[in-house]
Amino acid sequence: MSFLAPLFFVGLAALAIPVLLHLIQREKKQIQYFPSLMFVRQVPYKSVQRRRIHNWLLLMVRLAALLLIVAAFARPFFGRTDAAMAPGVGARELVVMLDQSYSMGYGDRWDRARAAARDALNGLGPSDRGSVVLFSSGAEIALRADSERGKLIAAIPTSAPTAGATRYAPALKVAGSILAESSLPRREAILISDFQRGGWRGEEGSRLPRGATLTPVSVGGTADAPNVAVTSVSLARSTFSNQERVLVTAAVVNRASQPLSAGMLTLEIGGRAIQTERLDVAANGSTSVAFMPFSVTGRNMRGTVRVGADALPADNAFGFVVSPSVPLRVILVDRGGAGSLYLTRALAIGDAPRFETLARQPEALSDQDLQQANVVLLNDVPVTVALGRRLARFVEAGGGLLVATGPRATWPSEVDILPGLLAAPIDRSRGDAARVGALEFGHPVFELFRSPRSGDFSSARIYGYRNVTTAVKDAQVLARFDAGAPAFLERRVGTGRVLLWASTLDLSWGDLPLKPVFLPFVHRSVRYLASYVDPAPWLTVGQVLDPDAAVGTRSTTGGRVALTPSGKRVSIDDEGGQVLELTEQGFYEVRSQAGQGGDAGATVVASNVDPAESDLTVMDPKEIVVAAMAGDQTAGGAAGAGVPMTPEAQERSQRLWWYLLCAGIVLLGIDTLLSNRLSKA
Amino acid sequence: MSLLGGHEPAAIPGARFMDPVVLARIGNLELVARAVCDGFINGLHKAPFFGASVDFAEHRGYVPGDDIRRMDWRLWARTDRYYIKEYEAETNMNFSVLLDVSKSMDYGSRGITKFDYARILTACLTNLVHHQRDRVGFVAFDSEIVEHVPPSAKHMDTVLHMLDRLKPGRPGGRMRDPLHKVAEHFGRRGVLVVISDFYEDPEAIVDAITPLRFRGNDLVVFHVLDPAELEFGFSDAQAFEDLESGEQLPVVPDALRKEYVALVRAHTDALQQKFSEVRVDYTLLDTSKPLDHALYSYLGGRERKMRSRQ
Repeated sequence: MSFLAPLFFVGLAALAIPVLLHLIQREKKQIQYFPSLMFVRQVPYKSVQRRRIHNWLLLMVRLAALLLIVAAFARPFFGRTDAAMAPGVGARELVVMLDQSYSMGYGDRWDRARAAARDALNGLGPSDRGSVVLFSSGAEIALRADSERGKLIAAIPTSAPTAGATRYAPALKVAGSILAESSLPRREAILISDFQRGGWRGEEGSRLPRGATLTPVSVGGTADAPNVAVTSVSLARSTFSNQERVLVTAAVVNRASQPLSAGMLTLEIGGRAIQTERLDVAANGSTSVAFMPFSVTGRNMRGTVRVGADALPADNAFGFVVSPSVPLRVILVDRGGAGSLYLTRALAIGDAPRFETLARQPEALSDQDLQQANVVLLNDVPVTVALGRRLARFVEAGGGLLVATGPRATWPSEVDILPGLLAAPIDRSRGDAARVGALEFGHPVFELFRSPRSGDFSSARIYGYRNVTTAVKDAQVLARFDAGAPAFLERRVGTGRVLLWASTLDLSWGDLPLKPVFLPFVHRSVRYLASYVDPAPWLTVGQVLDPDAAVGTRSTTGGRVALTPSGKRVSIDDEGGQVLELTEQGFYEVRSQAGQGGDAGATVVASNVDPAESDLTVMDPKEIVVAAMAGDQTAGGAAGAGVPMTPEAQERSQRLWWYLLCAGIVLLGIDTLLSNRLSKA
Repeated sequence: MSLLGGHEPAAIPGARFMDPVVLARIGNLELVARAVCDGFINGLHKAPFFGASVDFAEHRGYVPGDDIRRMDWRLWARTDRYYIKEYEAETNMNFSVLLDVSKSMDYGSRGITKFDYARILTACLTNLVHHQRDRVGFVAFDSEIVEHVPPSAKHMDTVLHMLDRLKPGRPGGRMRDPLHKVAEHFGRRGVLVVISDFYEDPEAIVDAITPLRFRGNDLVVFHVLDPAELEFGFSDAQAFEDLESGEQLPVVPDALRKEYVALVRAHTDALQQKFSEVRVDYTLLDTSKPLDHALYSYLGGRERKMRSRQ
């Protein structure tokens, strides 16, 4: 047995402590104070007899505990000095890392990479073990530490490369963990890739264990074949003759050293080419091409901008999804007249999203109205118990409610959804008017006003407001008047939200509607209440798809299912918070598992490859080798050589210290129990 | 048999024996003194010495200059002569407590130090005496006089305040020097109470205290000791440090307990004998015992004195 840190055995001197404690218990360290030693001094001094060891068991337990702990710190291990440890001799642990990012689809790189992997695995001996790690932006172990060559070769994928981008660090970490846990004397890793510069960021922590070797196998070669990529599109919406139209502009990059002339760029909508533009791009240059606007006729229109075939086909298409902009339906409940003039005007403005406002008297508000609405805005109206209960059901089902309270506003005490209780009005028309301050800038409603000179709420003068008592536990005060009274409050009820503005949203109790902050304030409040999220026209492979955002603003009950571009059905359990990672290029279709809404209820998400991956600039593989081996050995010299396991590696693989430390702690526990029992006795 | 066996008071009907540890927690000495004395007085009921200072003593013939308010007019009616009524204690008595505040008094093994016990005892005695309209005084001493409050009817609060403020800090030396010095200040007859732990040779102690009797003072001595000093109930062998000198000695209590207890008993017996020879009341107090016992000793002694005087 050897020890990694034998100096810790100096700690064995601590073994003397319990022995001394047992033997030398002559006088306790603490002093006993006594008024006078007049009489004690008169008694002849008698020295204390050295005590004999009474509790041999206790002493032995203590000594053993200390011995084990010291031995654990010395990091013991069983050294292997047999013939198998000789350099170049002994079983091998081989990890083959195979890059399957989409850049491997360039030319014949993928075929050459698979052939290299097969060659490496074919070289395994009968006592060797091999692992196959497939990586792109992440890494997965296709087969771990297996000695059957046939199974290992079968683990090499036969399909085309994935749509992911290259990242070397995850693969190196996985390989490092496999090699670290191996007890075989020779440990090797082979990295098969096209070694794109974009995949290596000099990541720290992606080192192989000491003694392991890394052999890079480059399948890059020259990249002088034509390679044009569509890197992004921009969508500009406009309305023409009450018809929403979208202007698509595509950005195209030529990665080749030869200019592209007379190329074709096609805009496909719904799988049909509707427009083709001529494409001329200079060598290593880029250009943008604008197509004629097309009309948005339905939801989830799948668009693709595609360039002609070249050596790397994955980056030739760029997909996006266009849907008619969905307005947020707002029901404005007021008492008629001009009280809601400013609110109506504010909601009439806005494109993303558009607000569709429906004015209703309190008694005319129907259940059908509520079913279709995203947000209900109560503008200083009395609310009956029946109406309050209907609004409570509306909010609990995910709707938003904004309550503006003026002199007429009432709320039934039987319905508990407001963030505060309405009390008597406060008149601030005499003296200084009230100001709104203490805004919660972290809240989505006020986040817009966080930076300086981005909106001043304190410029608005409030001449009257309703005193609101915030006795509700889950209510949050988002703004206060200068006297400290709550001005703007929020409460979450069920899956919906309720906002309460303690004053009016017209000119009767203040001039807030005349201030520049009024419009963004109303817009942000309604967007927040409706849980509105700007729809993304596309996502990138590797990103995570949020089913809530994909299906719509309201969360639906039951699970969801996603149809991948390759036609696979993946169920997403929204209760468990599961999300879907995009791994393929193309269009994902997400719909509720129960089939609610049919095709109209589905949402389509475009998934594009990372445009940075189409840049095939190569790097020197030695850069990765040096970083991964941390100066241990160079790749060339060590590749294939049998390396004896270092003492650290042997110790790490055996981990004897762990068992010794546990045993020592257990003995200390036993010592405590014994001591307590003996002291009680 | 306890060392205090010979000094245990007889059962006092109705008396409340209050735990000194509890009293020490009260903090307010005036309150403590009142609590103890009230209980004690209630327990004694009709004590013969209570009110003795206003008891009738004798008649004497009127001489010009006497206060005619004290004339016995009934006797004049019967005898046609002028007589003046004289009472036993016309003048108020001087009462002083001499309290040892040396460092050795700052010791307590059962929640109350000897000093706290002595302090409460002093407060109780002065409270009792003050209610009899006597003058109270106070002297604190260690190796020299630390505080001196001359006897006065108005000094009750001063004495209590001083007791509250005092802290034993310095080592005590020979008692002779401070007590001889303070003896010169007691020009008027009265009662002197000395409270100490008397860590000195009995001869030297008696020599130090005797001059206090020279002017006809009644002398009461309370010897305050902690139970640990009396029984030496320590078990672990350890170093003992003298509170006054700071000297440390390795001590095995089990080995020397017997000799120690015998020495302490011999010391207290010697004190008892020597004080009785010079007609000084000596009482050994154990700080674990109720204070009422100390009061009973004092008042019992006073009663005996008065009876013998009559």
